[in-house]
Amino acid sequence: MNKILSISDSVLFVFIMLVSLFGLALLYSATNQDVDIVIRQGSRLLFCFILMIIVSSIEINKLKQLTPYIYIICLIFLAITLFWGHDSKGAKRWIIIMGFSLQVSEILKITVPMMLAWYFSLSDDKDISLKKLIFSFLIIFAPIFFVIKQPDLGTSLIILLCGTITIFLGGIRKKYIAYLSGLLIVFMPVMWKFLLLPYQKQRIITMFDPASDPLGSGYHIMQSKIAVGSGGFFGKGFLNGTQSQLEFLPERGTDFIFAVFAEEFGFIGILILLLFYMAIIIRCVYITSKAKNYFSKILSGSITAILILLIITNISMAVGVLPVVGVTLPLLSLGGSSLISIFLAFGIIFSVNRRN
Amino acid sequence: MRKSFWDFNRVNAERLFNNRFAILILILSVLTIFLIIRIYFLQVVSFKHFDTLSETNRIKYIQTPPRRGIIYDRNNIVLADNSSFYSVEINIKESKDVIKIINAVNKEIGLTKKEIEIFHKKKSRYSHHNSIVLKSNLNDAEIAKVLAIRYKYDGLDVTASLMRKYPHNEITAHVLGNIGYIDKKDLFVLDRKKYKNVKYTGKTGIEKYYENVLYGDPGYKRVEVNARGRQIRDIEEQSATPGSDVHLTLDIELQKFMYSKLKDYAGSSILMNPKNGEILAMVSSPTINPNDKLWNFKTDNEAIKKLKSPMFNRSINGLYSPGSTIKPILALNGLHNKIIESKTEYYAGPFFQLPNSNRRYRDWKPEGHGIVDLEKAIIQSCDVYFYMLANNLGIQKMTSFFKYFSFGEKTGIDMPYESSGVLPTNEWKVKNIGHKWTKGDTVITGIGQGYFLTTPIQLAYATSIIANNGSIVIPKLNKNIQMKKNKKILEKENYLKNKISLKDWETINNAMFKVVNQENGTAYWATKNKYNNISGKTGTVQVYSLSQKTDVREKEDIPDYLKDHSLYIGYAPKENPEIVIATIIENIGSGSKYAAPISNEIINYYFDNIREKY
Repeated sequence: MNKILSISDSVLFVFIMLVSLFGLALLYSATNQDVDIVIRQGSRLLFCFILMIIVSSIEINKLKQLTPYIYIICLIFLAITLFWGHDSKGAKRWIIIMGFSLQVSEILKITVPMMLAWYFSLSDDKDISLKKLIFSFLIIFAPIFFVIKQPDLGTSLIILLCGTITIFLGGIRKKYIAYLSGLLIVFMPVMWKFLLLPYQKQRIITMFDPASDPLGSGYHIMQSKIAVGSGGFFGKGFLNGTQSQLEFLPERGTDFIFAVFAEEFGFIGILILLLFYMAIIIRCVYITSKAKNYFSKILSGSITAILILLIITNISMAVGVLPVVGVTLPLLSLGGSSLISIFLAFGIIFSVNRRN
Repeated sequence: MRKSFWDFNRVNAERLFNNRFAILILILSVLTIFLIIRIYFLQVVSFKHFDTLSETNRIKYIQTPPRRGIIYDRNNIVLADNSSFYSVEINIKESKDVIKIINAVNKEIGLTKKEIEIFHKKKSRYSHHNSIVLKSNLNDAEIAKVLAIRYKYDGLDVTASLMRKYPHNEITAHVLGNIGYIDKKDLFVLDRKKYKNVKYTGKTGIEKYYENVLYGDPGYKRVEVNARGRQIRDIEEQSATPGSDVHLTLDIELQKFMYSKLKDYAGSSILMNPKNGEILAMVSSPTINPNDKLWNFKTDNEAIKKLKSPMFNRSINGLYSPGSTIKPILALNGLHNKIIESKTEYYAGPFFQLPNSNRRYRDWKPEGHGIVDLEKAIIQSCDVYFYMLANNLGIQKMTSFFKYFSFGEKTGIDMPYESSGVLPTNEWKVKNIGHKWTKGDTVITGIGQGYFLTTPIQLAYATSIIANNGSIVIPKLNKNIQMKKNKKILEKENYLKNKISLKDWETINNAMFKVVNQENGTAYWATKNKYNNISGKTGTVQVYSLSQKTDVREKEDIPDYLKDHSLYIGYAPKENPEIVIATIIENIGSGSKYAAPISNEIINYYFDNIREKY
C-alpha cells in the first residue's frame, strides 16, 4: 500500500503530517485567528503534499538526469524575477505564476545541493580537485548572483551554506577546507565594508545589542525575546500569547513563528517540538545511511543537514543569537515557496528510500 | 575500467562520506544543544524579567480624571459647573503622519484654518501630554464621522471631556477665576502623579486657590493594549473621587446688582461682612465672559483690546492711591499720638506751604474751608487740615500707624496672587525711586496721594477695622473655612483694641457717619436714602498734578485717562456694623459724584433685598 503511494517510510510520513498539520493550528494563533490565511496555507500544504508524492514516485536516477534542467530552469526564473519580479518593500523576490507568487530563491536551498550532487557524481573519481572545487562554487554563486541583486543577503548566505554542506559531504580535502576558512577570515572585514548595505550592518549590530535601536530593527529582536522568555516553562497556552495576540511580535507567521510557539507552549512545548523534528531527522539520517547510490547518498545527506541548519537558524533568530535573515521554520512557517522546497526535499528523501 | 574503479573506491568514498556526515551532524547537534540552553535561559532562568517586560508591553495604566468640584454661592446657587463635550484629539506619539490625519479629519468634518494653526502651535509647545485637541465641541454627526475613520489612523481619537461652565458669565469672572492648559509653571506646584491625564488646572481666582479641593483624586484604569496602543479591554478599574464642592460667601443677587452698577466703568467694588470677613460681593470691571474662549487667547484678541485690561483683577491687584479715604485713619493717628485734639480748631486756607518753600499744597476747595476742627475736616474732607497733621506727625509715625491696618501687606484673602500695595518710607523711596524722602512727600501722603498705594481689598479690610473699633477679621470667600489670624495680626489687633481709646474710635466713626448724614458732608447728596445709617468717606485721587502757576482747573480738557479716580469706603449700620464697602472707579471724577452714590446704593440694596434672607 505504502509502496503504491510511493511513501516508503511511514514513520517519516506520519511525523511530517503531524508537524505540518500542527503548523496550521499555530498559524491560526499567529495570525490572530485569521481563518482565511489558514485555509490558504492549508491548500498550499495540500499542493505541496501532492508535489512530494509526485517527486517521491520519480526514480532517483531519473531525478538525477533531470537535475541540470531543474537547475537551469531555476536560473531562468531567477532572471525573470530580477526583471519582472513582484516589488515588495523595495525588494524583488517574487514572481507571479498562474496567480501564485513564487520565491525562487527558497527553492535554491534544495536545487543547488542537488546540482552539486549531480556534478560530483558525474566523474568516477570521487576526489575533489581544485578545478572541481572552483566549478562547484560557480554552481553555487551563479544563482546567488541573482539573489543578491534582489536584494536578499540572508537567503544568499543560506544558499551558500547549503551548497557548502554538499561540498563538505562530497569529500573536499582537508587542505581546501583550511584554505577556504582562511580566505573567509581574511575577507570578512572586506565584506563588511563593501558588500553589506547600511541596514544589513544595522541588523547585525542590533543583534549583539538590541537596546541600541529599540524602535528600529532592535525592536523585532527585543519583542521576539520577550515573547520567548515570557512563555516560561509551561507557556501561556494556545491563543493566549499576549506578545503575539496583541501584535507586539512582528512577522508572526513567517520569521518569528517560533516565538509564537515558544510563548504559548513554553519550554516543555519546545522540547516536544524538537523531539518531533528529531524523529524526522533520525529517519532521514537512517535513509541516508541506507542509500545505495553516490548521488542519492550525498543528496539525502545534504538535505538532512540543511533541514537541521534551517531549524537552527530560524530558532536562533527568534532567540536573538542570529540577525534577522529571513529564514523560515521548516513545516511551520507561513508561505508557499519555503513549503515547496521542504516538501521537494522530503519527496527526494522518499525517492531515495524507495531505491533502497 | 571505470566501473571497476568506482567499485574499487566505493568503500573508501563511502567511509569518507560517513565520516563527514557524522562530523556535520555532530556540529549541528552541538549547536542545537547550545540553542536549547539559550532557550532555557530565556524561558526558565530569566522568565521573571521577560514576563515583566511582556506585561508592561500589554498593560497600560490610564488615569481617569476626577469630576471637578462645583462652586456655589452662599445660598447654594451654582456659580461654576461642569458640562461634557467631545473633541477630536491626535496623539502625536502614536500617530505616524500627523498631517495625513489632519487632512483626513478635515475631509470628514471640515476644519478652519485657525483650528489647524492652533493645533500646530500647541504641538510645538511644551506639554506633558501627548494628545492634542484638533477640534472641540463636536456635534453627534461629527463624532460619528470621525469615529468611522478612526480605525485607519493610529493616534486619532474622540474623547469626552468636562468643560467648566459659569452660569453667571462675566458677573463672577474675576472672583471665580478660570481654568486653563497646564503649563510648565503649574507643574512645579501641582502633584504630577495626579495630573497625568489632565490638561486643565485652575489658573486664577477661586479655581486656582482651591485647586486641591476642587480637583479631587483621579481614578485609574488598567487596560490591555495592543502594539499600536489601541485599548483591547479593561482589566481593572478604580473610579475617580470627585473634587469637593466649594461654597462661597458670595451672594449672587448682590453680586449681580454690584456688577450692574460697575459694568460701564473700570474699577472695583467689594462688600464684606466686618464681623466674620465674609465677602458678599466682589466685582472687578471691565471683565469678559469666561465661557467664551477669550480667556485662552490673552491680549492679542481684538475684543479684548477694546476693553481696558479685562483680565486684570482690580479687586486684589489694582494699585490706587487711597486719596481722602485715608483721612479717618490719619485723624485717628493724630488723636492717638496726641498731635491734635478733636475739638481744637485750626484755620485752613486755600493751600498749605512748608516753611521756607514756595510750593503750594492746594485744597480741593479753591477758597479754603476756613475754621475747621477734626470732625469738620473729615466731613468736608479738608486737605489743608491733613497736610498740617501729616507734617506734624512725620512719615515715621504715619507709616508705623498705617501698619496696624496692614497697608503694604497682603490681607490674606483666599485668592491667589494678591498684591501688597505700597506703604512708603524713606528706605522704600531710596531703594525704589532713588531719592531721599522729602517733607513734601509726607505732606501729600496726608491726603493719600503720592507713593502710597492700596488695593480695593486692602481698603475694605482697613474699613472693617474702623467699623469694628479695632477688631481684625481676615476677608474670605470660602464659607466653610476659618481664617486663622497669625501672631502678627493678633499683636496688631491687641494694639488697636487696647492702646487706642474707644473715644478716639468713636470720634472718627461719628465723623464718618456725618460724611453721609450731615448736610455739609461730602457724601450727603450722594446718598438718597439714609435710613440704613451708613457711614463713609469719599476720596478723589488726582491722576495728574495741577500746574503750580495756575489755579484754573480746566477739567473739561483733560483726556479720560488723566481724570480723577473716584473712591469711597463705607459701612452700615452705624451701631454694630454688618457690612463694609470699598469702591474705586477709575478716571471718572470725584468720589462724591460716582463711587459714593454707587456704594450707598449697593449698601441699601443689601439691606432692602439681601439681608432679610438670613
